[in-house]
Amino acid sequence: MLTLRQECRIAIRIAGIRLRGQIAYPASFWMQIFSSFVIHAAEILALLAMFNRFNDMGEWTLGEVAFLHGISMTAFSIGDTIAVGLDSVPSQIREGEFDRVLIRPLSSWIQTLVSEVSLRHLGQCAQGVVILGFALSWTDIQWTLQKALFMPVIIATGVALFIALFTLVAILSFWTVNSIEVVNAFTYGGSDLAQFPLHIFDRWMRNLFLFVIPGGFTAYYPALYILGKDDPLGMTDTFRFLGPLVTAGFCLVVAWGWNQGIRHYRSTGS
Amino acid sequence: MRIYFELALRAFRQLFAYQAAMLAGIFTNSVFGVMLSAVYLALFDSHSDGTSVEGFSARETVTYVWIGQALIAPVMIWGWWEIIKTIRTGAIVTDMLKPLSFFGFWLSRDLGRAVGHLLLRGVPTLIIGALFYDLVYPGTPGRWIAFLVSIPFAVIVSFCFRFMMNLWGFWVLDHRGIAGIATVIVGVASGHLLPIAWYPDALRDVFNMLPFRAIVMLPVEIWLGQAGIVEGLGLQVFWILVMTAAAHWLQSVAERKVVVQGG
Repeated sequence: MLTLRQECRIAIRIAGIRLRGQIAYPASFWMQIFSSFVIHAAEILALLAMFNRFNDMGEWTLGEVAFLHGISMTAFSIGDTIAVGLDSVPSQIREGEFDRVLIRPLSSWIQTLVSEVSLRHLGQCAQGVVILGFALSWTDIQWTLQKALFMPVIIATGVALFIALFTLVAILSFWTVNSIEVVNAFTYGGSDLAQFPLHIFDRWMRNLFLFVIPGGFTAYYPALYILGKDDPLGMTDTFRFLGPLVTAGFCLVVAWGWNQGIRHYRSTGS
Repeated sequence: MRIYFELALRAFRQLFAYQAAMLAGIFTNSVFGVMLSAVYLALFDSHSDGTSVEGFSARETVTYVWIGQALIAPVMIWGWWEIIKTIRTGAIVTDMLKPLSFFGFWLSRDLGRAVGHLLLRGVPTLIIGALFYDLVYPGTPGRWIAFLVSIPFAVIVSFCFRFMMNLWGFWVLDHRGIAGIATVIVGVASGHLLPIAWYPDALRDVFNMLPFRAIVMLPVEIWLGQAGIVEGLGLQVFWILVMTAAAHWLQSVAERKVVVQGG
């Protein structure tokens, strides 16, 4: 058995090799980053245009909604960059490739993660950082040391949650074999949902996004803390700091699910 | 003409083989419909009931959201790259050798597909929206008919643009970069992302002069009664003429450039 440190070292080496392979075509590489930047610029354009015609969204100002957009886009894009290899699990299973993953002496999950490395989502990440910068200048946040220290924690929990979500989607394919479009509603839908203040959604959607997929704990509640806003839903103030704990719990469940998926896996090869 | 009808019919029937994908698509479009409805309704929160913003009341905006979600599959908002695949594999050569119009070959198949997507994805999505939200409906039978006519028109304009984007494959082999940018252009300028009337005035004026509004905004405006039936459909016909001419011109340039891959 390999120690965790050894596994990580191997994973980083594989990732490095894949990365070099990707940069071997610089024109295509930059074009993809550029197009990811442009695509997400459109989201920002839509947000600005909305506030050009309206004054507030559920009593939140442009700066406050932009802050949510910034943290969610940054976290989602980093998560997507790390987890992009998980996208290929359905096709690996279908083509019988997954058998090979299982016979190698390295964690199947880590192998899947590094089976593809793509930096194209860094265009979105750049967009997230830019919009976060604007949000900070548009809002009047009363910064304290605690708040400043909590910012990287927010991004990190967001990244962890999105990786867990992508993993969850991959787990489903152990049962369905085919890739299913439904899951887009959870990953991309989740990232879109996290960009807007939670209280504007219907109760069932809010509960789903808090207690099933804990996206509300990684974006909305931490944002309430940083922005110093009251919670229109009237939850306890503790909710604002529960993100890391809830996400850790969610990740544990997903990790258990991954192992169940591996156990359930029957090769499809002919 | 018969051959084109048969091609369309086959593309139409093909869709019925993928029932799980259809259900998944309806589910995804509906989830986004619910989400976007909440976002737009929150914008109208601080306005008194019935206030209209650049021609859209809250109810009309929600209607716009659901028509937009229903149109995603028929007009292929997220792009379509079938021709570029045949350029990469070289299969395009046999398609071009067929004794029928290359443009007509793909257009008829796309129209067949669009009818299938409209019935299997568009209509169910719109019904779900109608069940959960208080939508606005076309006032007269004439408007219902005009709306139904405007959809194939929208598909043709969208097809011409997709066709031309695919022909880029004659010049570049990796379409992903172009794909991203083309998707953004259509998403923003068609009115899919946000009603065109809500963009800052300068942008709105630019988008109103582009063909993309014929893809989403015009069907919505016809449904809501914001555009006159004759003006709305007339503008779509105008863009169909311009775009098909452009597509034919680009095809003739591209044909001179054919480099067969593989083989």
